[in-house]
Amino acid sequence: MKDLIATALEAANAAGATYADARVVETRHERLSVRTGRVDGVESGESLGIGIRAIADGAWGFAATSDLSTNGVTSAAREAVALAQAAATTARRPVALAPVDAYTDTWTGPCVTDPFTVSLDDKLALLLLADDVLRAEAAVRVTSTSMNFLAVRKVFGSTEGSLIEQSYVESQAGLTAFAIGDGEMLPRSYPNNLGGQAVQGGWEAILALDLPGHAPRVAEEATALLSAAPCPARETTLIIDASQVALQIHESIGHPTELDRILGDEAAFAGTSWVGIPDLGTLRYGSEQVTVTSDATIPGSIGSFGYDDEGVPAQRDHLITNGVLTGFQTSRESALAIDRTSNGCMRADGWQRQPLIRMTTVSLEPGEWALDDLIADTDDGFYFETNNSWSIDDRRLNFQFGCEIGWEIKNGTLGRMVKNPNYTGITPEFWGSCDAVCNRDHWQVWGIPNCGKGEPMQVAHVAHGAAPARFRNVRVGVAR
Amino acid sequence: MRRSLEEIRTIANRAAHMTRADSAEAVVISSISALTRFAGNRIHQNVTETDSQLSIRAVLGTRTGVASTNRLDNEAVARCASAAVDAARHAPKDPDFPGLPKPAPLSIPSRSLSLLSMYDAAGRARAAAEIIQQSDARGLVAAGTVSVNDYAVAIANTHDVDASMQTDELRATVLAMGEGGASGWGSFLGRDAGTFLPAQLGSSAATLAERSAGAGDLEPGTYTVVLAPEAVADILDFLGYLGFGAKAFAEGSSFLVNALGTRVADTCVSIYDDALSPATIGISFDYEGQPRRRTPLIEGGVAIGPVTDSYFAAKLDRPDTGHALPAPNPYGPLPLNIEMQAGDATLDEMIGSVERGVYVTRFHYVNVEDPMKVVLTGMTRDGTFLIENGRLSTPVRNLRFTQSVLSALSDVRAIGSKRQLCGGEGGAALAPALLIGHWAFTGQTG
Repeated sequence: MKDLIATALEAANAAGATYADARVVETRHERLSVRTGRVDGVESGESLGIGIRAIADGAWGFAATSDLSTNGVTSAAREAVALAQAAATTARRPVALAPVDAYTDTWTGPCVTDPFTVSLDDKLALLLLADDVLRAEAAVRVTSTSMNFLAVRKVFGSTEGSLIEQSYVESQAGLTAFAIGDGEMLPRSYPNNLGGQAVQGGWEAILALDLPGHAPRVAEEATALLSAAPCPARETTLIIDASQVALQIHESIGHPTELDRILGDEAAFAGTSWVGIPDLGTLRYGSEQVTVTSDATIPGSIGSFGYDDEGVPAQRDHLITNGVLTGFQTSRESALAIDRTSNGCMRADGWQRQPLIRMTTVSLEPGEWALDDLIADTDDGFYFETNNSWSIDDRRLNFQFGCEIGWEIKNGTLGRMVKNPNYTGITPEFWGSCDAVCNRDHWQVWGIPNCGKGEPMQVAHVAHGAAPARFRNVRVGVAR
Repeated sequence: MRRSLEEIRTIANRAAHMTRADSAEAVVISSISALTRFAGNRIHQNVTETDSQLSIRAVLGTRTGVASTNRLDNEAVARCASAAVDAARHAPKDPDFPGLPKPAPLSIPSRSLSLLSMYDAAGRARAAAEIIQQSDARGLVAAGTVSVNDYAVAIANTHDVDASMQTDELRATVLAMGEGGASGWGSFLGRDAGTFLPAQLGSSAATLAERSAGAGDLEPGTYTVVLAPEAVADILDFLGYLGFGAKAFAEGSSFLVNALGTRVADTCVSIYDDALSPATIGISFDYEGQPRRRTPLIEGGVAIGPVTDSYFAAKLDRPDTGHALPAPNPYGPLPLNIEMQAGDATLDEMIGSVERGVYVTRFHYVNVEDPMKVVLTGMTRDGTFLIENGRLSTPVRNLRFTQSVLSALSDVRAIGSKRQLCGGEGGAALAPALLIGHWAFTGQTG
């Protein structure tokens, strides 16, 4: 791999690059899914290629190829430079990068038992067992259980002298029961929707989820949802569980604090941001309870790494401190716009893609409350669990989220179950209404391996640390 | 360079016959994708990707397994074949598996592939500059893309399926932005470079942005709407995904289960999936090498049926409509080339018939609130206007909607005579503008 990096950088230099970096990325994946008693998919795959990024004539070019012959790599490097030169024809100002030290290093993510060494029989047996338990409830007409595994090895090198090798393994599993009846389909998932929980780690992480152990409750709740009352429409107090807080962070804090969005580079596709550069240090984003960090150093998070795809070391940084905007997620180029150095948020979806600013582990720091105490402290409201639907405007202000399940809270206790609970709000008003966050006992890092951004579309693996939190005066039960 | 059609056809046939399975299928896709992205009135990203993918589905009795690789040397292909067989060996039996399909007559359009050379880095930069110029000259800021995708697909199986085809496509988008949130949008998708007019595209978006300056509030509520083709394409995409895939139908999670053969929309509404339409893009066979057929989804307002692949055709005892996605996929067969039959109204006539309503250029971040009722939520974006007394009056701030697509299609007052090909999730929709009687806007950013 290192030879390929050297070949690419030499060719880019020779073609006129003033800066170049190259990443060779090798991935291996395995996906297993069971649906309603039937193995729906057993699939494995591998991918290997190189992506070369170059600055020439003050503009960026990027070329990627899976042809790893000397000719293939050299051609790609030359093409990256040619693309930069073509881009320069519309340049307004030359690209400049915030400084970073040159590193020669190796980083490895945590993994106790390599999931690729565990037999397919064992994996499928676990999924089929969980599926079997889910289907014990007659109203559960469709079930879905799945596991995904990913092993990544990548080498980054730059013309500034960095040479960094990183490797990690990700494991994900989860289950969903769909109760179907009378023209409606109601899902209930564990431990989260869309494939469950994803972590950096191995087979031990899958076993720790205990999918079969949670399946009876999930199936019972899905069944109960069919006869539950619809969530009433009103403005009320809302407590949302940690996994839903994670998605709320993702959509309404994570994305709007990405500096490339703020600078307009994502405008046409993902959108811009309601936040501006002058807001740094002054904008009230939320209540005093709201402190949010970006941390790529948390062990076991799929938002963690040793170095980002520009060779910048992983860091922990504050985005919001006691409700006030105090930071952005940056790259080397964008950081210069605010006279800072990069806090290491540039990542690419494989060798094929140019790095973009992506979330690492963006987390709402824990507060002081136990969940039971928080519910007991709530006279009237709702408790919602597990995301089911998400939508937010292009500036990340107006959101509407649906959850899988909810319960009324009356006089400090959970009351009747409600189905199809959803809520809507405006970002700063919503976070401004946060008056309580649960403590570290309830705090967990939730992996989100399906974050889409950029053109061509890239899918990033990001994460969010979150605990249940309470919000006042929230509009729930939006008309359906 | 991407691999030639003959080369990937050879690889697909060799790979399919390399496994020691009872039967096997190989899919090879080789592509070059080039994309020039601009923002802030300058190109900020200019990329190309050259890659090839091989996927092998191995069958042992009724067990199946899939493996994939992007390395096409003999050793990697052999490893992929072995991994597919290993996966199949561990998969439980599936009594519903009908076996891999047999060959069916294919219609392979002959296509000249000129877009990649016409829109090389310099060509894309020129097109981007022409688009940008339209905004720059009016004090606006443009962002968007000009991209070309050139690819070849070969599918072979041990039952003598041998399908291959190459094609290309050109896409462009532009968002023009002014002060105070004013914005306008334009897009192009197709294979006919002669109809791609960058300056005109940029001008149209810039005009829309200028017109949307000074947007005011509009109280959420139910309004008559005129949806431009991109907004219609968005909801057709979801209708196809949620309602017209055979897997959702077989599982009972599609509205179609209770609606097959009944009226689900106004009689003026006819919706098809047609990958063979000269107006659309893509290949004329599916990922099992079966012919993609023009498939009615809704005809004269009546729900006709789901699209199928070989598995669900056998399971549901319906014809194979040729809508297989690469195996394995969690969605089952899906309609990815939806087209809505055009009407006879011009856009001006539709707007002219509305006393008070809302014009929507496009939607943003649409998602599902209720899959069986096809209730969606999302925001308007890049040109939302109040219609008063038959004219676009004032621009309004973006609105959130929460609306059943089925209810909306049962309330269609007019259909546009011009259709636009719009890119969607993995496919393209040929959509007209629609005049809909009632559309529920449930929120505003303010």
